[in-house]
Amino acid sequence: MIRLSHVSKQYDQRPALSDVTLEIGKGEFVLLMGPSGAGKSTLLRMLIGAERPDEGEIFVHQKNVTMLKRSEVPYLRRKVGTVFQDFRLLPKKSVFDNVALPLLVQGASSADIRRKVTEALRAVGVEHKRDQLPAGLSTGEQQRVCIARAIVNGPVVLLADEPTGNLDPALTSEIIELFKLINARGTTVVVATHDPQVMALVNRRVLTLSQGRLLPEERVLG
Amino acid sequence: MVAILTTTFTLACVGVFLLLYVNLRAAAGWLQDDIKIMVYLDERLASDSVAEVERQLRGDRAVASLLFISKEQALGEFKAQFPSESHLLEGLGQNPLPASFVVALSPFFRSPDAVKRWAERVRQVSGVSKVDYNQDWIDALATVIRSIELVAIGIGVILSAAAVTIIANTIRLTLFARRDEIAILRLIGATTSFIRIPYLLEGAVLGALGSTLSLVMLKVMYELFRQQMRTTGRFSGIENFMAFFPPSVCLALVAVGMGLGFAGSFVSIRRFGEVKA
Repeated sequence: MIRLSHVSKQYDQRPALSDVTLEIGKGEFVLLMGPSGAGKSTLLRMLIGAERPDEGEIFVHQKNVTMLKRSEVPYLRRKVGTVFQDFRLLPKKSVFDNVALPLLVQGASSADIRRKVTEALRAVGVEHKRDQLPAGLSTGEQQRVCIARAIVNGPVVLLADEPTGNLDPALTSEIIELFKLINARGTTVVVATHDPQVMALVNRRVLTLSQGRLLPEERVLG
Repeated sequence: MVAILTTTFTLACVGVFLLLYVNLRAAAGWLQDDIKIMVYLDERLASDSVAEVERQLRGDRAVASLLFISKEQALGEFKAQFPSESHLLEGLGQNPLPASFVVALSPFFRSPDAVKRWAERVRQVSGVSKVDYNQDWIDALATVIRSIELVAIGIGVILSAAAVTIIANTIRLTLFARRDEIAILRLIGATTSFIRIPYLLEGAVLGALGSTLSLVMLKVMYELFRQQMRTTGRFSGIENFMAFFPPSVCLALVAVGMGLGFAGSFVSIRRFGEVKA
């Protein structure tokens, strides 16, 4: 599903990623661990075509992301859901409208939007908050809405960058359970985190980055 | 709202100038209408030869109108215009004034060069003794018209650029205020056109609204000015010669405003560039 081959990237002569080669199969749940500045976010941004590597190739869902034209990037992003630490919800739009956004940009019919948004909100357990504005939600609920927006399209891959960074341990556990559920439905999930609690909760394959380099892998079978 | 008003005022400046230009150009046109060329005929030209010259002149596509003045009419006019000098002619025994045609040229043949060429050509026609017109006046008028046009183009370009810049800045501010929203839209797979089109439309609507409002403002100012002219009695009659833009020009101005708004928005979006996802 995801393949990186000798990927390197520098920012102002400072290496962000150095010769990273890895492969993530369809339906896998992978944790991308490492301290801040290890290159986790750079790697995730490359997977959605927001950054281009200086060297190497990246394949997502059989598409060579490094060769994608600018105009093709949006179509890649429609297959890849993204979840962020800071949620990135539109503050003036209701929960429903926020989750509807990915469908809206694809020109889905309103009936389709209603059905899929309702399903996504139900899946993450915030269906009852559909008409509220993000500011009226707790942080846990905001992250759930963010996850609903990421899965409403039925993406093949779900990428999450420090999704529990703003959450307390109880909420962290809830959100990880949600990712496991999504993964159980066949979606490949990649979660970047530096939180050891998440590693303990997930108990799956762990990729560790340190100063832009991928460390030898430790596989934990859950 | 501020953007609409700024656009309105800028486009109103364009409008004021355009209105001035249209009226000055029209005034210059009337003056050009007054350009008359005298075609004097040979003394003792037989009446069928006069008819032949008239036929030739009438057949000329440069000629808009033609008026024949016989020797007798010329003498009558001279006496009417200069009653105290009429005794000068009496001593000569016979009427020394030649018969002539007063020719007005059609608009396409009123440039100094065209008038000159036409006069030289007609001078060769048999039966014509002299062709007379006021070369200096025609040259001066052409220079005035050319200057008005040049200044109009210059100011029009400057003010249009100002309108584009204002709208571009307005849209840039909007883009800046919505940069997070744009970044989110990019992340969830919105295409560039999906993101750009609303801003381009916003610019076009801004331009169209601005130009419509500026036209309304101009019309009000124009009517007030006319009324002022009528009541004070100064420059009496000038209000009858003043004209506002015809509806087609008004529509064209709204379209131009829309185009400028669209252009401003486009410039802004291009400069704002790709918001990094």
